[in-house]
Amino acid sequence: MATAMQQRGSMQPYRGGSGYVARSSSSGLYDVLELILDKGLVIDVFVRVSLIGIEILTVDARIVIASVDTYLRFAEAVNRLDLMSTETQGLPEMMEGITEGGASNKTKGVLQGAKEALFGEEDEDSGDGERQGERRRSSSSTTRRRRKSGSSGSSGGGSSGSRSRSSSKS
Amino acid sequence: MSESNGGGVRYVYGVVRARRSSRLKQTGINGEPLKVVADGGLGALTSTVPEGFLEAGRDELLTHSAVLERALKKGTVLPMQFGVVMPDEAAVRRDLLKAHHRELETQLEEMDGKVEVNVKGIYSEPRILREALEEDGELRALRESIRDKPQDATYFERIRIGELIAECLGRKRAEDERRIVDRLLPHAVAVEVGEPVHERMALNASFLVEQRRQRDFDRALDEIAEGQSGRIQFKYTGPLPPHSFVELAMEAA
Repeated sequence: MATAMQQRGSMQPYRGGSGYVARSSSSGLYDVLELILDKGLVIDVFVRVSLIGIEILTVDARIVIASVDTYLRFAEAVNRLDLMSTETQGLPEMMEGITEGGASNKTKGVLQGAKEALFGEEDEDSGDGERQGERRRSSSSTTRRRRKSGSSGSSGGGSSGSRSRSSSKS
Repeated sequence: MSESNGGGVRYVYGVVRARRSSRLKQTGINGEPLKVVADGGLGALTSTVPEGFLEAGRDELLTHSAVLERALKKGTVLPMQFGVVMPDEAAVRRDLLKAHHRELETQLEEMDGKVEVNVKGIYSEPRILREALEEDGELRALRESIRDKPQDATYFERIRIGELIAECLGRKRAEDERRIVDRLLPHAVAVEVGEPVHERMALNASFLVEQRRQRDFDRALDEIAEGQSGRIQFKYTGPLPPHSFVELAMEAA
């Protein structure tokens, strides 16, 4: 095994680089947990442990995105937009936005709700302190596309060989 | 909780190579020691959990992650999804290791020397809205038309504005995703592209990267991020065990 292996990065500062890529410990950890819940080997036959404290149900992520609330929020945002200002959003503001998912905390991404349920107030991105009361459904893997390096064009999904993804989501 | 003869319900964290069964000093859920259940050169990383173990919370998630993280430092590991529980050690051998021996072997080989890197990109909302306005005449006109009018008089216009922005964002997302993935893929073995989880997400992708090429990958991402500075903020998580690149067939294989 290569000695260049590093510890899982979420707890470490980003290695080298220009500083344009963000690494923050709690959101990095959150991304790992997202993968643990949604990916990895599954054996259908055996009981899956369910998470207490949040609902894990599948929902079409597009439903979350394309809702009337979202449209109205966009309209409000574009209305407020000061076109005379040529300032682009500074890094601190953008960092805040990374895990919020939307300019307004009213429509947080679904996983944000799950994250709060799991981690409560310890999040770095408490932002303006608004809490999401309702439990959101987390979007599980909807259609995933996989591509192998060297293949041209986009894939139609599905991996090579006879493996099919086991789909126990209970 | 019976410890004799491998009795006791087992929580399974992942699969590694192992020549023999063993008990590790490292602990898993509830502070129980990790036990490697070996069969045919494969080892399941397990620990004993209580009989009725059906619900878990934050601590268990964190422990699952920590066990895999540690395993990755030691060698190739195929991560289980969170929450796989098997009735006893014999079941682990029979229904996981034996039943899926060939697949697991193959995937261990495929994953040797490779890690997963998760990359997310988030749009700067002011920036992307500005772009939308610049590009879409209808949007500009609508925006003008509702200026200085009371909100209740402009409901449908605002919906239309939001729709146009959402469509524009969707187009940009598709294009940015394609361009970014195309630039990173040469430094990776494979990519799993996920659906965006909220409307400002530009990219949500996991890459399978060879460890010896990770520096190249990181540098390529740095360049992309610098070029998108002020427009897309990137978030990088890794190196990780290859959660997104392993799977088991429904039937034993």
